[in-house]
Amino acid sequence: MIKSYKISFSGQVQGVGFRPYVYNLALKFNLKGTVSNNEDGVLIFTSGNPQNISAFYKKLTEFPPPISKIKTKSIIETENLIFEDFRIIPSTKNGQLNLPLTPDFAICKDCKNDIENPENRRYNYAFTTCVNCGPRWAITQTFPFERSNTSIDEFPMCAKCKKEYNSPINRRFHSQTNTCSTCGIQLKLINNLGETIKIEQSNLFKKIAALLSEGNIIGIKNTSGYLLCCNAENPKIVQKLRNKKHRPNKPFAVLYPSLKFLQKEVILNDKQLKSLASAERPINIVSLENYKGKLALQQVAPNLNQLGIMLPYTGILQLLANELNFPIVATSGNIHGSPIISTNGDALEKLQQVADYFLQHNLKIEHPQDDSVVKFSTKFQQKVLFRRSLGYAPNYLEASINSEEKILAMGAHLKSTIAFYPNSNLYISQYLGNLDNFDVYNRFTETTENFIQLFEQQPEIILVDKHPMYQSTQFGKELAKKTNSKLLEIQHHKAHFTAVLGEHNLFNEKVLGVIFDGTGFGDDENIWGGEFFSYQNNKIERIGQVENFDWLLGDKMSKEPRLSLLSLASEEMKSILEQKFTSNELKNYGYLKSQNKLKTSSVGRLFDAVASILNITDFNTYEGEAAILLENSISNYDLRTCKSYSQLTSLGFSAKEIIKNIYKDVENGTSREQIITNFLFSLATHILNFSKVKGFTKIALSGGVFQNTTLVDMLLELAPKEIKLYFHKDLSPNDENSSFGQLMYYLNINK
Amino acid sequence: MDIENIGFETINLGHGSGGELTRNLLDKIIFKTFSNPYLDQKHDGSIVKIEGEVAISTDSFVITPIFFKGGNIGELAVHGTVNDVAMCGAIPKYLSLAFIIEEGLKVSEFIEIVQSIKKAADESGVLIITGDTKVVERGKGDKIFINTTGFGQVHPKANISVHNIKEGDKIIVNGFIAQHGMAIMSEREGLEFESTIESDSTNLNFLVNDLLDVFGDKIKLFRDPTRGGIGTVLHEIANDINKGVFLKEAIIPLEKQVAAACEMLGLDPMYVANEGVFLVVVDPSVENEVLNVMRNHKKGKNAAIIGEITNEHPNKVVMESLIGGKRIVSPLVGEQLPRIC
Ligand SMILES: [Fe+3]
Ligand SMILES: [Mg+2]
Ligand SMILES: [Zn+2]
Ligand SMILES: [Zn+2]
Repeated sequence: MIKSYKISFSGQVQGVGFRPYVYNLALKFNLKGTVSNNEDGVLIFTSGNPQNISAFYKKLTEFPPPISKIKTKSIIETENLIFEDFRIIPSTKNGQLNLPLTPDFAICKDCKNDIENPENRRYNYAFTTCVNCGPRWAITQTFPFERSNTSIDEFPMCAKCKKEYNSPINRRFHSQTNTCSTCGIQLKLINNLGETIKIEQSNLFKKIAALLSEGNIIGIKNTSGYLLCCNAENPKIVQKLRNKKHRPNKPFAVLYPSLKFLQKEVILNDKQLKSLASAERPINIVSLENYKGKLALQQVAPNLNQLGIMLPYTGILQLLANELNFPIVATSGNIHGSPIISTNGDALEKLQQVADYFLQHNLKIEHPQDDSVVKFSTKFQQKVLFRRSLGYAPNYLEASINSEEKILAMGAHLKSTIAFYPNSNLYISQYLGNLDNFDVYNRFTETTENFIQLFEQQPEIILVDKHPMYQSTQFGKELAKKTNSKLLEIQHHKAHFTAVLGEHNLFNEKVLGVIFDGTGFGDDENIWGGEFFSYQNNKIERIGQVENFDWLLGDKMSKEPRLSLLSLASEEMKSILEQKFTSNELKNYGYLKSQNKLKTSSVGRLFDAVASILNITDFNTYEGEAAILLENSISNYDLRTCKSYSQLTSLGFSAKEIIKNIYKDVENGTSREQIITNFLFSLATHILNFSKVKGFTKIALSGGVFQNTTLVDMLLELAPKEIKLYFHKDLSPNDENSSFGQLMYYLNINK
Repeated sequence: MDIENIGFETINLGHGSGGELTRNLLDKIIFKTFSNPYLDQKHDGSIVKIEGEVAISTDSFVITPIFFKGGNIGELAVHGTVNDVAMCGAIPKYLSLAFIIEEGLKVSEFIEIVQSIKKAADESGVLIITGDTKVVERGKGDKIFINTTGFGQVHPKANISVHNIKEGDKIIVNGFIAQHGMAIMSEREGLEFESTIESDSTNLNFLVNDLLDVFGDKIKLFRDPTRGGIGTVLHEIANDINKGVFLKEAIIPLEKQVAAACEMLGLDPMYVANEGVFLVVVDPSVENEVLNVMRNHKKGKNAAIIGEITNEHPNKVVMESLIGGKRIVSPLVGEQLPRIC
């Protein structure tokens, strides 16, 4: 007996080879019907033996295409439909778009084989892709993910490519990004005067490898933006790149030619291996303990015992890697603080003084993205996302949201992202950067406007941080006026809290929120950053904090760890301060401190003070440097030797007390490593004890401080069984999660 | 002036009562100092002549400390108002002068202030034509408050209005910024810098007059960026005309010691107060000539073309920074709250 069914899927189901997969599966199960993309996802009508259809459906849901993510699925019987065969029919768009966008995918094994195989017609073709891999969000102009809606549409398929596209048994059946060297994207090598270097395509990557080996800096246009590359084993050239980028110390990421090469130099754990083979393929921050290679470490990652490493994730990088016999620095193509460059013109104009050569191509990048960065903690392999961008953005499929309102959240300031809920999907943009920079600000506003256009939905409510001087707040306010939207200001750390609650769907629970962060504008107009919140029944209450200390000298305090020490120091530490400040500074700052009214509870500043008192650093050259150096000054910890530097008080704990006791240990000659370990132990025990005293069994942790994976490990190790810790899952603990947190706050917290 | 002759060392409530003591104070110090035909009539007010349109501006001066390096509250009270009148495109002629004195002010200090006022008024070419003196109880003032109102004749060639400003117009500053604010701060808070910073308080009306003589309506706007600094004023301009301001940090005149002092205190010189500084927005056809005239004048030796008006980013002030890259100069909301994590 023949029956007919309608099957629908939503989630990440477009641009991932879903329709060809369905097609081939349907043939296997002897089914007739149609499959198409629509505004909600993928829609299948099929007629056949009900048993076959049921098996087909089971297979499809249990083993969907490798890079797809099914969010919802349904199967319902319909009136009898008659089909002659099974076919993919053109996309239909009836209503408003209601689809996740598709992120970019790292090159798959099959495509890698194609470009490395001299027999294959795509041998050496850098833009080889298939339904399982290639750029998506980077080239997306509009919906749904069809070739005509992307910038690849400028390259009409040749006869051979078309044939693949139309052949159901081909991996490139309905592959929207299908091109080859005949019809596809062209690479071109130029020098920094803009002159073309004449070279046969077959020798191009050999030439680039040779230039790199000779000590040149090369700007390479990847499919998501420019990278600046140089030989990572050559200290002079890495230093030169630092000077030219105006980036004195912030570590560079290193691209290894192959996994094999990488594993000769560093030891990778299972999670790292998996991550480096994933379709997202982020930069992994790995330990340099027992490092065995020849990298110019002091120039690549000054004073660190960790390193950001990556493996080739596009055809371009793969072909280059194949010619390299050394790892290369691969850092975002920009001047420090500006957004990643994505056009040939910009690259030549802005990086002319930085790069000696440029490898360009003529594919237009619609959505430039930096590489994503992840770190797994040493002991428990807990995943901590440092930057969520390429491969992840712009979707967030995990949240459960049920709202009729169109909501736009503007995030924070320094690590800006936006979140938009225009339909039943949530979109979180890639990391956009520091909004003080005008070019970043422009990218931020363009991304916002692009989201609004793409989904054909105006926001009805706009959420901003409470800080009046965040550019995102100011832009959000302007936009609210322009679009006649409601506006809501949300406290920074409460948004951090609701971001974790949202990631784990904890809004029906009683949860302690521990938000340890750099800065944020508090409800009492002080600078918060060491907060204990309770959540219950849709209410958040501040139930504890790091005891207030003086916030001095505006943003300068965050740049100079010695100022945090000055703020927290007691009289006995005078001689230490005298080494760190001129007498004029001491006199002036002493006066300003005595007059100061602005207070803070920032744990970020406490980290700074500890770094300063241990003479690790007094000046930050990049954000969070002191805290990173602090974590990097220790390798392993032993809980049995740890002690706490302060007592839990009714309010929380005192940063001054911690510094006072650290000072005692410094005077006693306790080792720096032991002091740092004790310090992290103090924080971990305070968190757990506070939770115990206040009767919580669930703790949600957020804020930049939880990028410290040693602290994360300690917490996991110390937490008793009955305590459940919730860290961020698919978002970063830093301010990148603000936009999502604001959205969750708006939807779940009763004011 | 000899203090012995005045007959008292501090000013007390009686000096403001309107009686004998007041008369004494006025005669012996004020009338004697400022003597001119209008004031000498000793009427309740003065009748003066001004041709054409009249520009009027008033300001109250409540600064602490009242004496600082490079000046005192007296000359500030003259320069502030004279400059405000000048910024209207007018030639300041007359000034009213009112004191609110907290009892206990030393007569010697008062005399020094009055003499500074006299000197500053003479140098600015204005006459003090009317005034008032009140004394308040101890604790109800802060040594001395001064109010001045200036009256000026609008320059016949002036056509000053933000609405004349067009895309491409240039923004010129007459000299080093942020000096006054840092000088006051160092004095008030007892802060110490590598070298002493002096207030640049001065009158700008002659330079303004010269510019109007030569360039007339090619000059679109004068503004003196006092409180809030040039950052705040440029924001106001951008918002008033719904256009953007684009600046080049490297060109903005800033003295090394002042920059170092700002750096030390974590202050952005863009928001620090000025007294002897003004911004002029001019038609691009005359930018270089204006710059020349300014540089040849002693109040504009360090003048520089610091930026221009643009349609690129309405309502925003954007600055090309020293190391390349552009940063947004955001409007000040309250104090400078930290934003870095
Ligand atoms: Fe934060
Ligand atoms: Mg005024
Ligand atoms: Zn592939
Ligand atoms: Zn082709």
